[in-house]
Amino acid sequence: MSALADDIRALSRSITLPWGEEGDILSLDHVLDLSRRHGVSGRIVEIKALRLGIRPLRYLRNQQSLSPEDQARLLESAVAMVGLGGLGGTLLEVLLRAGAGIIRCADGDRFEESNLNRQTLSTPAGLGRSKTDMARERAEALNPSVDFEAENAYLTSRSLPDFLSGCRVAVDALGGLSHRLELQRAAAGAGIPMVTGALAGFSGYVGVVLPGDTGPADIMGRDNAAEESLGCPSPSVTCIAALMAAEIIRLSIGHPSPLAGKMLVADLQAMSFETVAIA
Amino acid sequence: MGIELKCFATLAKFLPENWDDYPVEPGETIRSLIRRLGMPEESVTLMFVNSVRVDLDAEIKEGDRVGLFPPVGGG
Repeated sequence: MSALADDIRALSRSITLPWGEEGDILSLDHVLDLSRRHGVSGRIVEIKALRLGIRPLRYLRNQQSLSPEDQARLLESAVAMVGLGGLGGTLLEVLLRAGAGIIRCADGDRFEESNLNRQTLSTPAGLGRSKTDMARERAEALNPSVDFEAENAYLTSRSLPDFLSGCRVAVDALGGLSHRLELQRAAAGAGIPMVTGALAGFSGYVGVVLPGDTGPADIMGRDNAAEESLGCPSPSVTCIAALMAAEIIRLSIGHPSPLAGKMLVADLQAMSFETVAIA
Repeated sequence: MGIELKCFATLAKFLPENWDDYPVEPGETIRSLIRRLGMPEESVTLMFVNSVRVDLDAEIKEGDRVGLFPPVGGG
């Protein structure tokens, strides 16, 4: 048995779990301590603990919705997300809390005042700062166990393949329609599924595009999008990001998505949700 | 009985009051419906009938659930 496993066992403690069983847990402080002592990421400590049947306390309320093995696989998985604006900021928050192990992000933009209505990473004090810097600070503050990488750049069809390399899921959290098709094609080229979403006013959609399938980017065109007049209110952004996050987590674990080849079309004015077959 | 109609984002302003029972004529297509509603044809990019994407020439009949969606890309 490895020294790390012995140390995890020694620092774990038994509690009554929320659903009544007895179980062993490992607290955040001990994960950080073991990560430093053994020179590994916190997520490596957490994965090891889960495989020993010991639950990291910070993820306890994910279970029994995510089994210990699901949680371990999520911590092993890499997500590549393009865009750290409205959708990307909320997605980052959810993925960090859920325990997505490796998060790679890209955005070349800086925060401006008109972002404050919806972009989770934007604050009055952070105006003018790069979105990747603010994202890195949030990641370190919220879940230092996660391996976080950020590229302060707008990616192109030339740089996307490297960015997606080694990742299990691509995430289209871009604003506007002009670059979404490039990302969809790059994800297909990398052979990985892409989770996409967009909104305007009270309406939006979420899709899961498997390599080679038709996706929303094939349908929506590249310009004249409705958000230019209707804007992006916070409830719509947060709702679409939450739906995307559910599929990113599911695919990261390795489960198939019920949204593959479909779009979930939502309207918060009519409170209507409908799943449409598009592939 | 007519169709049940949903119009999204910038198309919501074209939604008729009788959207939940909107009359259709024999041979009605998505294209003729869009024209009747007064929408510019290029403003509709995703059309679906009974939860399946269709094209402008798809026929629609009484009892169908029809959705019309414009280009949307905000994040």
